[in-house]
Amino acid sequence: MEPAEVEFLAEKELVTIVPNFSLDRIHLIGGDLGPFNPGLPVEVPVWLAINLKQRQKCRLIPPEWMDVGKLEEIRDQERKEDTFTPMPSPYYMELTKLLLNYASDNIPRADEIRTLVKDTWDTRMAKLRLSADSFVRQQEAHAKLDNLTLLEINTTGTFLTQALDHMYKLRNNLQPGESSHSQDF
Amino acid sequence: MRYGHTEGHTDVCFDDTGSCIVTCGSDGDVRIWENLDDDDPKSINVGEKAFSCALKLVIVNKQCDVIVICSDFMIKVVEVTDNSKQKTFRGHDAPVLSLSFDPKDVYLTCTTSWLLLQKCNDVINAKSICRLAWQPGSGKLLAVPVDKVVELFRRETWDSQFKLSDASITQPLNVVVWSPCGQFLAAGSVDGNIVVWNVETQQCIERMKHEKKYSICGLAWHPKYKQIAYTDTEGNLGLLENIGDVEKPNDKVASAVAKDYNDLFDGDDDDYLNGDGIEPPSSPKSGDNEDDADDLMQPPGHVRRAVIDDDDDNSLDIGLIKASSALLEKEDDGDDQTGGFSALPPSSTQQPFYDGPMPTPRQKPFQPGSTPVHLMHRFMVWNSVGIVRCYSDEQDNAIDVEFHDASVHHATHLPNSLSHTMADLSTEAILLACESTEELASKLHCIHFGSWDANKEWTVDMPKDEEIEAICLGQGWAACATTALLVRVFTVGGVQKEIFSLPGPVVSMAGHGEQLMVVYHRGTGFDGDQCLGVQLMELGMKKRQVLHGDPLPLTRKSYLVWVGFSAEGSPCYVDSEGIVRMLNRGLGNAWVPVCNTREHCKGKYDHYWVVGIHENPQQLRCIPCKGARFPPTLPRPAVAVLPFKLPYCQVATEKGEMEEQYWRSVLFHGHMDYLSKNGYEFDENAKNQAVKEQQELLMKLFALSCKLEREFRCVELADLMTHGVVNLAIKYASRSRRLNLAQRLSELAVQKASQLAAAQEDEEEEEDFRKHSGAGHSSSATNWGQLPGRRVQQDQEVEDAEETDACEEEDETPEVHKEKEPNHFSKGVTSAEVITPKPALVAPSGRGRVNPFKVSSSKKDPVVPSANVLDNMTKYSKKTSLSGSRAVNKQNAPVIKPLTPKPKTKQASAASFFQPRTPATNPGEKTVEEREEKAGNESQEAKVTAQENTENRRPKTGFQMWLEENRANILTDNPDLNEAEVIKEGMSRFRMLTSEERMVWTEQARGGKVSDSAEDKKRKRPVSEEDEVKKSQEQKSEDTNVSKKSKPLDPPTNNRLSAFAFKQS
Repeated sequence: MEPAEVEFLAEKELVTIVPNFSLDRIHLIGGDLGPFNPGLPVEVPVWLAINLKQRQKCRLIPPEWMDVGKLEEIRDQERKEDTFTPMPSPYYMELTKLLLNYASDNIPRADEIRTLVKDTWDTRMAKLRLSADSFVRQQEAHAKLDNLTLLEINTTGTFLTQALDHMYKLRNNLQPGESSHSQDF
Repeated sequence: MRYGHTEGHTDVCFDDTGSCIVTCGSDGDVRIWENLDDDDPKSINVGEKAFSCALKLVIVNKQCDVIVICSDFMIKVVEVTDNSKQKTFRGHDAPVLSLSFDPKDVYLTCTTSWLLLQKCNDVINAKSICRLAWQPGSGKLLAVPVDKVVELFRRETWDSQFKLSDASITQPLNVVVWSPCGQFLAAGSVDGNIVVWNVETQQCIERMKHEKKYSICGLAWHPKYKQIAYTDTEGNLGLLENIGDVEKPNDKVASAVAKDYNDLFDGDDDDYLNGDGIEPPSSPKSGDNEDDADDLMQPPGHVRRAVIDDDDDNSLDIGLIKASSALLEKEDDGDDQTGGFSALPPSSTQQPFYDGPMPTPRQKPFQPGSTPVHLMHRFMVWNSVGIVRCYSDEQDNAIDVEFHDASVHHATHLPNSLSHTMADLSTEAILLACESTEELASKLHCIHFGSWDANKEWTVDMPKDEEIEAICLGQGWAACATTALLVRVFTVGGVQKEIFSLPGPVVSMAGHGEQLMVVYHRGTGFDGDQCLGVQLMELGMKKRQVLHGDPLPLTRKSYLVWVGFSAEGSPCYVDSEGIVRMLNRGLGNAWVPVCNTREHCKGKYDHYWVVGIHENPQQLRCIPCKGARFPPTLPRPAVAVLPFKLPYCQVATEKGEMEEQYWRSVLFHGHMDYLSKNGYEFDENAKNQAVKEQQELLMKLFALSCKLEREFRCVELADLMTHGVVNLAIKYASRSRRLNLAQRLSELAVQKASQLAAAQEDEEEEEDFRKHSGAGHSSSATNWGQLPGRRVQQDQEVEDAEETDACEEEDETPEVHKEKEPNHFSKGVTSAEVITPKPALVAPSGRGRVNPFKVSSSKKDPVVPSANVLDNMTKYSKKTSLSGSRAVNKQNAPVIKPLTPKPKTKQASAASFFQPRTPATNPGEKTVEEREEKAGNESQEAKVTAQENTENRRPKTGFQMWLEENRANILTDNPDLNEAEVIKEGMSRFRMLTSEERMVWTEQARGGKVSDSAEDKKRKRPVSEEDEVKKSQEQKSEDTNVSKKSKPLDPPTNNRLSAFAFKQS
């Protein structure tokens, strides 16, 4: 899976927008959206919100967790705990990126939010690397990590599994190599 | 007095030099005021959200470098110079009520919950806040308010020295504060009394009462002058000057109560009321600044013995903090104090005091949807069209106009050089108005962006000394109300039109379409009530006044905060208690409360700021405001939608709930009658839906009452029903063996029918009518609806028929009946799918007479059809409520389709019996038309194929096609039948088919539509089954599913079986 795919999935998350146009309910395969009343908040998927926003057809209301105070709390919590803490949204990183890129004018203190989310992300990635490291070092057979988001799994998933494969091969080759040697002799 | 903070706990103090007042409030802000007139206090946000409810007090100690804030169980010390340094003292296990710095900076005293008072977990619950105070200078005495007296404790020993009390104090004291000289002690009580004692003599020298009796929660002496600043729990800041001209402290009575008493209380103290921040009084210089600032007084001599109880409830030692709250044992109360005080003639200290009802200050005029004028950034209007914001900082004075719907007009930024304070916004124009200045007259300024010429703006000056107080826009006109008690109407292009006088000063006005609503003061209200009147006029082609200055009902002690129209044009308003009322034109223009926004608030100080009302769909659009009455401009507030709820009794019960729904539906569709009466267009569909919804509710209520054996109530309910539904009710009643009820209902039905007939005597067009009733009336009552016409003539017959019916009904097993009853509604959905042919209708028509009671008994399968009829209704209602119009269309279609042809069969056979009656359903007729439109597709197709059936030029129906095929069979079975009898027989056979088979026929008749509707059916089924599951227990639905499945095998028996299973479950 690629980050783009993860982002695609994240675009299905619902956000609230305030449209500035009027439109009856629209019927899509994924479900009905609307009705859109000017000035009245309505929940739509992120992809539509961004599309409307780009066309200046709506104002975005940031998700509740996208707030400096809450994110600070989350970041501090994340730093304090050794394990992963639950994130406010399974797509927090993607949503932050998308919404801040396209609708930063509707999000108060956008820059701070960006920094905070990045901090949280970095902390989590560091933890992830650390745990991968200890996993490999101790040659554990399995490990369990809670509260990882899809994008985070994606960043290490492919690499880690391949690396483990390689290591496995290397280790295996080491022993058969010895035995083959003995056969040679 | 002026508005300082939002409601909630507040506190106040002077800084050391007396140059400024510092206040803090529950909004978490600390404000620094130059003086009372300072409109632009410096605000420091100390607390974040967590603090906002808990921020309790600010005390600035001598060096003015430490601010202490206690929040609940903690004390925080903040150094003013550096916000980042915060010390926290923990350890209290009761909420900290109060604390105070020792003048020598050694002690920080604090009170926790007193034992004397109720111990409580939250500051909010504490009755009194027990604000204690050190004697300034020497710090020898600590004054603590204990219930209704002030106790004075000596430093370090914590002995109670003596007590101060006063006869006028009837409620616990909240606050005590020493004068800077240490000579006087002021105390504020929960009920708004402020009392000042001379500590030395222990005499009361001053008493005053807060006009609104709000609880005083903060008091502070001016360091130099004889002023006391106070704050109350509603967030107001006030100043009391010239405290008892106390040059001679021994004066028994300081008669000079604050001279400007009247000034102080002249304004009202709610933010909305004094929106523009009145308060004349108090330039600090005016005080007779004696120099008693320095003469420190000695603590009075007599020492009272007190027991100090240092138990954990009252006091705690934390570091350098010595907590000194003491629990007093009772024996020591100061008899001599009381004695001393009784020496004082209590009355003499008070002004002659009128104790009767007090006139309420009149509320100021306001624009609906605006926030107070004194704010720097404010909403001038927020309505359903858009938002007008006003910024008036130093650098910028501008107005921002933004439209919700960008297609109306683009957002606009206007300079506000004339300093407009009022605005209104419509889809055609922006209307602005300003008050007059020295040079300039009051102006009305209109930006008519809807204009097609180049001049979009016009301005009108008011005559001299006439100020605009309220403005509004309608469709094609603008209006303003002025101080000259005039309402001036203009066209939107600027032509002056009508002008008329108002009976009183305007409060607010609103326009919509051609309606103008003006609210004004009819008189003076008393005891907090406003006395308002309302005029409603129509400025259209025929001008008329709908409301002639009727009194406007408001909740007690409240004032008007919003007035306007619903999007559909019903006048509405909101009062400060959050009650939304709407004009019920169907009830002689009475005002009906439709929503209590306060019910939806989470906190005591939260409010909803109404911005718009929609009747269809029922939405109250408003902005939730935390701890305030109105929203700030930033961050941009989000609109929320509240449901309406009429304050009916017992809405928790099924009955109450349905009653509320019914009347709400009636009320919120009243605008349609109004619109149609005035020749406006409106959505017929919506109206029919509303009627249908109402009838469903009535029917449900009817069934409920039936179940509860409330037959009289049933008849009352039936009285509200339309004619068609009454017949359904009759059917229901007879089915549930309530013959008495059924008879009464039938009388009622006859009555209704005759009324209807009388009403529409002139509407003959029977052909048309038949078509309607045939085409339509969909699933429900309407087939019945046709009958009543005939019933009139057959009334006598009914009775004998009834007897037979009764007998026949006896045949059926009674327990089956019993069980079936409750099921009618709860379970009905299950069989809703089965479109049965309404056997009851056909047979009687064959006989040429109708007996509603006959139905159940004469037919082999009475349950299914009836359940069917009812269920279509219930299901329908459910779906509509679930999802909007589309769902309705979707599932309407399949219901209607099989029905369309059927009535025709009936007509074919029974045409001869039908008199040109115009019998049923005046109200239903429209439904019919609309139905027919929907059914239009198929019927048109069918028409193409229609040939033989020339009698009424109708396309062939399923039944006819079936009959053609089966005529031979019938004839062979009964060779001696004539044509009419053949049809009759055919009909009864046709009815015995399962619904699926019949569907096939009807589809064939329609031609080509089969697959389509079959698909519809498929689609529909899962939904209905879901409903079913929701509605009834799983087991039941299983039963019925099973029965459904097995049906096709042997129609009649299966029907019966399934019905039985149905009943059993």
